[in-house]
Amino acid sequence: MREVCISAANTVTGLGPDLDSLWRGAMAGESAIRPLNRFATGRYLSGVASWIEGLEAKNGCSGIYPLLEQLLDGFGPVPKDAALITASTKGCVDVMEQLQSGLAGDPAEVPLGQLLQRIAARFGLNSQGININAACASSTIAVARGAALIAAGRSEAVLVVCLDLVSEFVFSGFSALQALSPVACRPFDRNRSGLSLGEGGAALLLMSRERARREGRPVLGIVAGWGAANDATHITAPARDGCGLIQSVQQAMARAAVSPEQIAAVSAHGTATLYNDQMELTAFRTLFGERRLPVHSIKGAIGHTLGAAGGIEVALGLKCLAAGSLPPTIGLLEAEEAGEGFVSSSVQPIEGSCLLSTNSGFGGVNAALILRQGDK
Amino acid sequence: MTAYLSGIGWVTGAGFGWGREGGDCVLSDLPLPALTRKDVFPEPNQRFGRMSNYAKLGLAAIAFALRDAGLETWSSKRPIGVIASTRLGCLATDLEYHQTVLLQGGGLASPNLFAYTLANCFLGDAAIQFGLTGSAVAINETGEDNLGALRMALEELDLREADTMLTGICDLPVPDAFADSMKFMPGAVFLVLTVIPPTAPVGYGMVSLGDDGRLLHNGVATDSLIELVHNSLTNRRR
Repeated sequence: MREVCISAANTVTGLGPDLDSLWRGAMAGESAIRPLNRFATGRYLSGVASWIEGLEAKNGCSGIYPLLEQLLDGFGPVPKDAALITASTKGCVDVMEQLQSGLAGDPAEVPLGQLLQRIAARFGLNSQGININAACASSTIAVARGAALIAAGRSEAVLVVCLDLVSEFVFSGFSALQALSPVACRPFDRNRSGLSLGEGGAALLLMSRERARREGRPVLGIVAGWGAANDATHITAPARDGCGLIQSVQQAMARAAVSPEQIAAVSAHGTATLYNDQMELTAFRTLFGERRLPVHSIKGAIGHTLGAAGGIEVALGLKCLAAGSLPPTIGLLEAEEAGEGFVSSSVQPIEGSCLLSTNSGFGGVNAALILRQGDK
Repeated sequence: MTAYLSGIGWVTGAGFGWGREGGDCVLSDLPLPALTRKDVFPEPNQRFGRMSNYAKLGLAAIAFALRDAGLETWSSKRPIGVIASTRLGCLATDLEYHQTVLLQGGGLASPNLFAYTLANCFLGDAAIQFGLTGSAVAINETGEDNLGALRMALEELDLREADTMLTGICDLPVPDAFADSMKFMPGAVFLVLTVIPPTAPVGYGMVSLGDDGRLLHNGVATDSLIELVHNSLTNRRR
């Protein structure tokens, strides 16, 4: 199996137009969750989200494309032979909303194939690409898929692009499910009251070590292990015992050939819903026993970015490993009992070189990645 | 990578069925059958009636494929993965859900419909129904051959991510408002691929992925999923 390197990474989030602004904001304890004025929220449980200026659908054109442009501007060259994998749960859902409301819009933009074609054309890629839809673990699985292709020698380079918008469609749905927090979310807090939505994207260029060396690319980090499993329990709720997440992490550790003791920190899904956070803490206790290791969630800073969440968290994870620090869990005031000693509202040191990144989603999906520190 | 093709199930405008039962799988632009629980499951099933039409379509084809492979019944959860390719995913459910959002400022948005506005949700239903704990993802692809998910499933088997994979396609008819911008035959077709020699009395031969990325069925290149299924059913061994 070939080593899988990440040689370029960028993000666009509510905290700023690039990965550096996300890192600075997260370490400073900032939150981009604020009142939302993109649509009327009076009938919903919440009126806040982490949103990005200028991503409203205009003249029938989706906000996903300005987001894509921000994300890829300055991203650097992508080899034409790179495979393309996108991760988005709802893509141009804003165009569908416009059409449904009798406004202008091109129906052909709604299927996610259009997004693939746009990205492939922008970089002149030979790959037609695929979009992964695995709910809130979409981009985690996209990175895993890209890593698998490189590890097996089927590709030398893979471009992973993850994007999702804050739309009334999704906002209303989480509100109807009673899953939205009326205020900015508080992951792993004992008084948490649901999630806050966010929008954003991540772009990651994965390469074999040999290809990165040949092209003189930096090695920002290594995708050392990956795993995915379904807990086969419920469509919208996680298994209480965390069985699917545990299985995913065990697969990832086996692939990375690391023991639980070698995992130095965890970037958790941490949506701040009652059941998700409880399930994750149960899984971490099962996996790591009584050992306390730093765990954080970025959702209090940038909201839950759905299909983009895992990709953004991988990009941030590279920064964490390089700096040896895990950002505070923003919104956390008093840790859930099971999270005491794991989560913190302060910056935590990372003592080691392996970071576990996890996501879970509707449909019983769970996924895990193990990132290793890149070259210094 | 080579895998045994051990089960085939389908729901199309021409009907529904599975390989061992006889019949052929033909994609058609005729209306899809309105599936009832009794068409799919012999036992009562409280969930089926509440599912979206997209979820019913996909779940039924998966059930038939597993039945064909002798894997429908189970006593403990199994690490079987699923990769489903879809062009429109749950767009029909999205449109139906959005109608509920447009009423009274979203105050009547349907939580049950919203739960089915992800293209992968029917895979969660399949996981629950059949105890499948492997990775379950829906993919969107732009190719016309419907082979993307099958290729991906073979690669997953090659990487030993699972010993058995379900893979196929699932799409409802294109909604009227979108009919001018896309055309394809609706339906769901699922295959069971395994690296374990099948014990079922029917075999459909071997499927492999060539170094050039071409799909081979018993060593012969195949150009589309439907061609592969047709040849498999024609040559089925009893």
